[in-house]
Amino acid sequence: MAVPRSRILDLMKVQCRIFSTTFNPEGLRLGNKILRQRLKGPALASYYPRKVATIQDLQKLYPEFDEFIDEAEEDRLEGIKILKARGKGAPKKKRTAEESKKFKGKKR
Amino acid sequence: MSMFRAKKLDLGCFVNIKVIRDHTKRKVFAEHETERQALRYIIRNLSLPARTRAQAALQLTSMHCYTRPTQIRNRCIEGGKGRGVLRDFKMTRYNFRMNALAGSLPGVKKASW
Repeated sequence: MAVPRSRILDLMKVQCRIFSTTFNPEGLRLGNKILRQRLKGPALASYYPRKVATIQDLQKLYPEFDEFIDEAEEDRLEGIKILKARGKGAPKKKRTAEESKKFKGKKR
Repeated sequence: MSMFRAKKLDLGCFVNIKVIRDHTKRKVFAEHETERQALRYIIRNLSLPARTRAQAALQLTSMHCYTRPTQIRNRCIEGGKGRGVLRDFKMTRYNFRMNALAGSLPGVKKASW
């Protein structure tokens, strides 16, 4: 038993109304598949873990507590102290143009 | 590009320039995604005049490359590497192995049969 096309179109119309899709019986390319896609930006943007509170933040927030000790920072400062004591530390920052020019040029 | 980069670093994982770059691209893409989708809709809609569609196509291609999703690549959060990254753990195979053997990945167990 063949169903008439008008009946099928009616059914499609109702279907589109219920599921809120576009009624497009001729199968025209209206680009609706783009509109149907979900946005994936938020999922992609949250790939890398964000920075949470660091020890420095804690120290800044509660200066009255000195239980928070940043071990990595302490290690770094200690290393610098040792280097300085051996005279191998980084040179002092030059403040003026003449000072910075002093040692420039070819070394002989 | 540096103009898109955040002034203050907000990453809590391993950081090198490639990771920062990829992170920036992700944020820029998320920001421009709706605009890109709108242009893509205009281009795919054959009922619109050809002129409009051509203009939309031009506009889409002239957008900055950082707004493209294809620029994004999953990188390792432990070492920043871009190859051999397991999607489920966001880690390269070596870092995954080290973490799994150390027991820091819940539910991951060494199998042998």
